Amino acid sequence: MEDYKYLFKVVLIGNAGVGKTCLVRRFTQGLFPPGQGATIGVDFMIKTVEIGGEKVKLQIWDTAGQERFRSITQSYYHSADALVLVFDVTSTETFNALPSWLKEVEQYASPKVISVLVGNKIDLASDREVTNEEAETFADTHDMRLLETSAKESDNVDKLFLDIAVELTNNVRNSDIKNSLSEDPIRDHSSVSFCCRT
Amino acid sequence: MPGCCNCLSSCKPRYKRLVDSIFPADPEDGLVRSNMEKLTFYAVSHNEKLDRIGGYLAHRLDRDVYRQRIGYVVISMQALDQLLLACHAQSLNLFVESFLRMVHKLLESNMPELQILGTNSFVKFSQIEEDTPSYHRTYDFFISKFASMCHNNSDHAETRRKIRLAGLKGLQGVVRKTVSDELQVNIWDTTYMDKIVPSFLFNMNEGFDSHESPVHDHPEEKPEVLADSCLRDVMRRAAYANIHTVIKPVLKHLDLHELWVPNNFAIKVFKGIMYSIQSQYRYVTPHFLLLHLDEHMKNTPKIKRSIVEILKEIVAIAADGAVGPSVLEIFNTLLRHLRMSVDERLSGGQASSTDRSASSSKKTKQKFDENEEILFEEAIIDTIGAFANILPDYQKIEIMMFIMGKVPMPRDRSSTVLQEEDHPLSLEPKGEGDILVQDMLLKSLLEVGTKYTTVSMATTFPASFFQPLLNMSVITNPGIRVIVQEILHTLIDRRDNVIKLYANRGIVKNIADLELKCEKASRQDIMFMRKHGAEFQWHIFENLIRVKNTTKNFVAIYCTMALLCVELGTDDILVDLVKLALALQDHACDPNCKMPLTHLYAIHSIVAQYLNLIGQLTAIPSLCQHISQVIEERRKSAPYLLPPISVEDKVPATSPRGVAPDLLFHVDSISEALASSGHDVTRLSLPYIHVQEPQNVDTRPRSLTDVGSINVDFELLHSSPTAGRKRPPEEVTFESLKQVLISGINDSSAEDERQKRLDVLHSFQNSTLDELAAAADTRNEKWQQKLNDILDTVTKSPQTPAGSPTRPDPSTPLQFQSIPTYEMKFPELCVY
Ligand SMILES: Nc1nc2c(ncn2[C@@H]2O[C@H](COP(=O)(O)OP(=O)(O)OP(=O)(O)O)[C@@H](O)[C@H]2O)c(=O)[nH]1
Ligand SMILES: [Mg+2]
Repeated sequence: MEDYKYLFKVVLIGNAGVGKTCLVRRFTQGLFPPGQGATIGVDFMIKTVEIGGEKVKLQIWDTAGQERFRSITQSYYHSADALVLVFDVTSTETFNALPSWLKEVEQYASPKVISVLVGNKIDLASDREVTNEEAETFADTHDMRLLETSAKESDNVDKLFLDIAVELTNNVRNSDIKNSLSEDPIRDHSSVSFCCRT
Repeated sequence: MPGCCNCLSSCKPRYKRLVDSIFPADPEDGLVRSNMEKLTFYAVSHNEKLDRIGGYLAHRLDRDVYRQRIGYVVISMQALDQLLLACHAQSLNLFVESFLRMVHKLLESNMPELQILGTNSFVKFSQIEEDTPSYHRTYDFFISKFASMCHNNSDHAETRRKIRLAGLKGLQGVVRKTVSDELQVNIWDTTYMDKIVPSFLFNMNEGFDSHESPVHDHPEEKPEVLADSCLRDVMRRAAYANIHTVIKPVLKHLDLHELWVPNNFAIKVFKGIMYSIQSQYRYVTPHFLLLHLDEHMKNTPKIKRSIVEILKEIVAIAADGAVGPSVLEIFNTLLRHLRMSVDERLSGGQASSTDRSASSSKKTKQKFDENEEILFEEAIIDTIGAFANILPDYQKIEIMMFIMGKVPMPRDRSSTVLQEEDHPLSLEPKGEGDILVQDMLLKSLLEVGTKYTTVSMATTFPASFFQPLLNMSVITNPGIRVIVQEILHTLIDRRDNVIKLYANRGIVKNIADLELKCEKASRQDIMFMRKHGAEFQWHIFENLIRVKNTTKNFVAIYCTMALLCVELGTDDILVDLVKLALALQDHACDPNCKMPLTHLYAIHSIVAQYLNLIGQLTAIPSLCQHISQVIEERRKSAPYLLPPISVEDKVPATSPRGVAPDLLFHVDSISEALASSGHDVTRLSLPYIHVQEPQNVDTRPRSLTDVGSINVDFELLHSSPTAGRKRPPEEVTFESLKQVLISGINDSSAEDERQKRLDVLHSFQNSTLDELAAAADTRNEKWQQKLNDILDTVTKSPQTPAGSPTRPDPSTPLQFQSIPTYEMKFPELCVY
């Protein structure tokens, strides 16, 4: 009587203040929290989505960007199915920190993890310090997908998580297929719908 | 059971109906108790149904959570809790799966009430001992979620406190549940402990600085209090192999949260660890701190000092358990840091300019602070003392030898002696670096020495320690020479006399005022002095004639001389000391002596002070009379020849270099006085001649005494009356030593021989067999001791440079045991 078919763990990482918590709350609660305080340690949210007619539960672990929590946050990388590496397009500093984040990922996360690069706060277009091209180049060289989002304007936020859910689901199905030739992979998430409040 | 009237409602299985019946129409009314009893009874008597009951309850709960019908959720959980407690059966296992799924469900909710509700149920569950372990069960989610709850950051303070408390209780529950059953989850895995330990520490620290009044709530309801006991709880349960999975996250947490400086929180944490860790593993904690100190090698001296200070704090708690199998490793690490700090100071902060890790780079950029380095070094020395304090005495000696082995020695004796700048063959002085290192290491040695209690001199001063120590005593730097004297003081002084001697800087009128504690020297000590007395004398003499001496040097050397007299000054040793004093006087009177006047006067003063002390101690009237007569003369016409000594004061240019005979002590008068009270003064007639003959260290007078002392030993063992016939009477030989040893009264050697024979005969006639055997035993022991001494020097003379900075991989604490050199040296210490 499980209420879902697949369960995936998604972990958000990135410098303090880039908007990780806002992205999660936008996705799970549909709101942009005013005056969102810095995350302490690790926060947890859950969201169940429907993909290809199947319920997929996403456990979302929103880590603190502050360096002092690094030891506890690193301990959450290990079991992540997907890592969302967030930077703030209005801050070069958060973009420049990406290599060291990737180093941590390499050190602590599972080799099978999928990682997605997210440039957040694109609504602040006039303050932009990191161009789309720069970000694309970085993502390419590191074999990641890039998505530019705005938690505030809800741009690309659902897509971010749903893409992840689709990719992870497909991965599981593909490995299932090795055993039994059955379902087709899902190509897009037009068939996706939300379900379940939390 | 009544018949068909139940037919309709029994479309549903009975267990479902029973479950439904516990829910009231209005959730406000709470659990229907009477029906709950029925359900419980049913479940207990139909074990096979338990599984389904659980499934059904879980199903209902899912729905209620979804619909946010909290009242019903609470009722479901109450029911689950009760069933869990009531049913101790095999089928509990399956029921538990449903149960945990429900807890999981509640924890996933973002409503604080539900999270707390779920946690409480989980805590109850953690207290139940299950009959059968379930291997497939994991607690990953629970641990992750509880750890997250421990960091809850709700705006509402009370909610925050409650959720954090729940998180802590939950983690405690997981630990409790898993720790006893290794077949289940290995809670000690780093993936778990890396979440659990920081969660505890975060909460401990959150409440650490706040001083809100503890009046209103129970201490157990404070996250910081609970977290503290959680950490201790984990520590208590940790087996040897698991300790590192707890302590490493602790260290990392303190690093990341920058909690080393100030270190009161860190001290609290480590004290907690020390008090709770299983006592046989206590020594591991200091080792981890030392490893961590190594990792902070390039960090600021402030942080390193904090770590070292914490070490000192916790060593006291561990008492003798803090050291463990690799004693030397501890001292080695501390000494290495001491050395590096000195190097850092010498290079003005350039020694460690190359950064290794990104985390440290920020800190090393801070400007070099010499004062901080000095404070760090002092902290190291303190901590060395704290470690030494908990060692048994025999190991303290080993440690002192170990430290001695690290002191940069003057290249050989010649360079020591010839270094003095005014010396005709002066070489370039040694680098400042060596001096600083010597200074620091000898201070450490002194620190260890003060913790050591001397019983017998021979044990305290094994040759491989004694020799280098004496070598250091004549090094150029006067400050270091003072430290060496202080080391000698603390090691020679057995009865706390040194403070009293230090306090008295003048001529004592009445020795009783000093309240010195004197006891007759033991035979072993006398043997030691026979063997090494001449060396002592040579070094004291050499020391006193150094032109760089400060007042401190004179005072310190006087104390050493006085201690030798108080502790060991019997018979011929006393005579030797008198001889030394007179030799110093002669030296100071020598017109060829090139010492400055201040120093000449200081030597005269010391001689006066010393002879006065000897006179008072021996209480030989004629001796005292002569000495006080000379002192009186000096007081009248030459007070500058009397203490207190101060070489820093200028003397008037008119001061005479020569000293009138009536202001000097006379060997004849002294000799007469000593002889009158039965001392053998033959050796006084043969003046002490100071040979500055550095190359032939071993042919200096000492060797003569050496031979003598060994012969005396022999003599006592086999008292053959024919031994030692062909001695040249005017020389100091084993025979003259023997005389002193045996009687000290008769000056006729023939008489002496006879007496001795009589003694031996007497002892054989009047002693029981047992007594003789016992006497033989003591002799044997002494032989054994001697043998050991020799073996000691043989085995230890190539000082093993155990100081190579190899250290075990921090991830494997087991390696602490496998440092072969130390194990060989300290087999007694190996706990395993
Ligand atoms: N304009 C704009 N502001 C945003 C956006 N997302 C987040 N912010 C703001 O950025 C600030 C930080 O957002 P958080 O979500 O708390 O950042 P975080 O990454 O969770 O930070 P830590 O928890 O400290 O690691 C807040 O003031 C948000 O209002 C966005 O898309 N656009
Ligand atoms: Mg956040």
